[in-house]
Amino acid sequence: MKKTGLVIAAALAGALLGSPALAQKTVLTVGMQSTDAGVLDPHLNSGTPGKAMLQWMFNGLVRIKPGELSPEFMEPDLAESWTSSTDGKEWTFKLRQGVQCHLGYGEFTSEDAVYSLARAANKETSAFSSDYAAFDKVEAPDKYTVKITLKQAIPSLLGIVMNYHGGNMVCKKAAEELGKEGFAKKPVGTGPFMFQEYVPQQYAKLVANPNYFRGKPKLTEILYRFIPSDSSRDLAFQSGELDMMLGRQEQAWVDRMNALPGVKVVAMGPAEMSMLHLNMSQPPLDNLKVRQAIAYAIDRNAIWQFRGKNISRPAVSVVPSGYLGTDEKAPLYPFDLAKSKALLAEAGFPNGVTVKAINTTLPSMLSFTEATQALLKRAGITLEIQPVEHATFHQQIRQDLSQVVHFQAARFPIADVYLSQFFHSRAIVKTPTAVTNFSHCNVADAEIDAARSETDKAKQLALWKTAQEKIIKEVCAIPVNEMMQLWAYKDSLDLGYDLKASLNLGPPVLETTRFTK
Amino acid sequence: MGAFLVKRLGFAVVTLWAVLSLVFVVVRIVPGDPAQVILGDQADATAIAAMRTRLGLDAPLIEQYWTFLTGAIRGDWGVSLVTGRPVIQEILSVLPWTLELTVVSMLIGVAIGVPLGVWAAINRNRMPDYVTRIASLLGLSFPPFVSAIILLILFAIMLRWFPVISARSGSASAWFQSMALPALNLGLIMAAYITRVARSAMLEVMQEDYVRSARAKGVPWRVVVWRHALRNALIPVITVVGLYLGILIGNSVLTEIVFNRPGLGKLIVGALNQRDYTMLQGMMVIYTLIVVLVNIATDLTYAFVDPRVKLS
Repeated sequence: MKKTGLVIAAALAGALLGSPALAQKTVLTVGMQSTDAGVLDPHLNSGTPGKAMLQWMFNGLVRIKPGELSPEFMEPDLAESWTSSTDGKEWTFKLRQGVQCHLGYGEFTSEDAVYSLARAANKETSAFSSDYAAFDKVEAPDKYTVKITLKQAIPSLLGIVMNYHGGNMVCKKAAEELGKEGFAKKPVGTGPFMFQEYVPQQYAKLVANPNYFRGKPKLTEILYRFIPSDSSRDLAFQSGELDMMLGRQEQAWVDRMNALPGVKVVAMGPAEMSMLHLNMSQPPLDNLKVRQAIAYAIDRNAIWQFRGKNISRPAVSVVPSGYLGTDEKAPLYPFDLAKSKALLAEAGFPNGVTVKAINTTLPSMLSFTEATQALLKRAGITLEIQPVEHATFHQQIRQDLSQVVHFQAARFPIADVYLSQFFHSRAIVKTPTAVTNFSHCNVADAEIDAARSETDKAKQLALWKTAQEKIIKEVCAIPVNEMMQLWAYKDSLDLGYDLKASLNLGPPVLETTRFTK
Repeated sequence: MGAFLVKRLGFAVVTLWAVLSLVFVVVRIVPGDPAQVILGDQADATAIAAMRTRLGLDAPLIEQYWTFLTGAIRGDWGVSLVTGRPVIQEILSVLPWTLELTVVSMLIGVAIGVPLGVWAAINRNRMPDYVTRIASLLGLSFPPFVSAIILLILFAIMLRWFPVISARSGSASAWFQSMALPALNLGLIMAAYITRVARSAMLEVMQEDYVRSARAKGVPWRVVVWRHALRNALIPVITVVGLYLGILIGNSVLTEIVFNRPGLGKLIVGALNQRDYTMLQGMMVIYTLIVVLVNIATDLTYAFVDPRVKLS
């Protein structure tokens, strides 16, 4: 009995003494909104939790300067330099020498790069194989040279050999030795941090790579914790158990975090654009005037205010702002309620129309659609919302079941991706080549296709501009606003760069990242 | 006793089969495509179709059912569609966390609920009774995720006695830290249920002839209450404990999410969101198994507490 009492007393004392200690200054603890990170293979994982972490372990041949988003900031990573032929079909990369794979798997050479790209292009081993459809061959003329030959020029070869999705370079020996499943449990790359441990539902632990080619990281460890509950993540951050965390896309969250001492909140890119796709194959939306009436009825500024001034911004075109090729001054329909009503009457609907939207129950996306519903109501347009759970939403909108689809997405920041996935007739839902063209838009196919293989940059930009104008004029979709990615971190954490954006959706943690106190 | 067990276990097998079949059907009726979830927004229709083939989701339903059932019998529950790890391995890695939380919560519930219920009953319509009834009503009305947040704010943020993120490294203090708040959260809800049942059972038993005769014979009040009456009042309490185990496991889903403890609850939420069919099937087997086994254990406990109960 006495013994039990002692044990309990000791446990209590331990609990009290061991209460949240200050984080060790070389260990970075990050909180992510998920129960798990999924497969840890960079060629298979496309989810936010996985991508945010995998970027700390892997390099590409090239990378976008940390903290930036636009491809204009492309800089060397595993490749020191590169050249391309004038027709854009042949690319040669010179690799850095002496780069070491994690866990003693040897030097990273052109053989590893060739293997990685073949692996990324193979649909058995990669979720991103379609990005590499234009690849003809990848060769290694010598130990430090990689030569890529394309069947046809593509808008950005560099975008698919950077440290993002299939462009992550894996170490051949490790991938072969561990096998597909083994590699997904123990990923081996060349990045500043090495995988050490994965505890399901709890955390992944990464440790510093002492042989990192840019220098030994200043942090010794990253503890990547999976905390699905928003409130618990906030409380853990507040109690000092987390140094950095993914935030909520809510203005109130930003205000609350900004009120805490020693906290930095960043609203970073890539922004996810909220767009209403109008199904032009169905009445009444097959009528251009009805679509225009909807476009005129939407007040972008009102929605911007509603969603939060610090976390969103009004859309500028049918391609998000800041992408290579976005027409930043695209001729969007301005808010004009009278014009909206007049157009409806002209279209033969003086008493208004009713359209249906299957919508996800994800709170931020649902509240957006509800706000839109209120705006449309003023013009006499009834938007009937049918809320369904998120996975169901994704399935049903691809079955062409919704007249209006509110889709919120960020893509690789080149106009081509948004245009071909949302507005090219090849991508129309329910076709064998379907992606996310919910509106059945087909008005700019010629421009989108021509821009893809256009090597003259000015002509390419002009083609993309025309495509955007045509899509806007036809009202295939109404771009409304863009939501930023929110992260909070202690201001004693010096990331080592200015965080404005991260294509991998989590802040890059570099060899220079450190705590200042 | 032997015949009872054989009969109950046979019944358990049939229940398991029925639940498995039901789950198989339900999981496939629910809209949402796992291939789409795995590949993400940007995948084209061809890639999604290829993934469906790879996952075996394009095979005829009856074939999928047969593969699933024969696999389940062999103990092979397949691999998670999302993580690629074996379902059984994923479940077993977190099962102890949920079981441990459930057992400790139940002990807290019994330790608080039974004495409180008895105290309320023997003080019927007096202050202790009112206080207890109001407290148990409060306990029942609080959604577990709200009480969880309150506990966190109080003990983790204001008093800083416990961490927000449950963690455990093998030491007694680490175990205590990871267990205390979640177990208290669930234990209090359980206590609220048990208090009410214990109170009404005690009230009923106290009306019985044998209690009156014991009192008439001059048996001390304490002995009447604790030895004669409580023993009989415990039977409905045990039933409730057994029945509410299901509720406890259900509430543990929310508790695990808020306290960020690993467990079946967290696993099932992830599996549902991602339409991880194989994982959901495996989870349902485990849940059914637990409920069936607890029912058998409850029956056995009756016989132990009350020798008049015959197991046949």
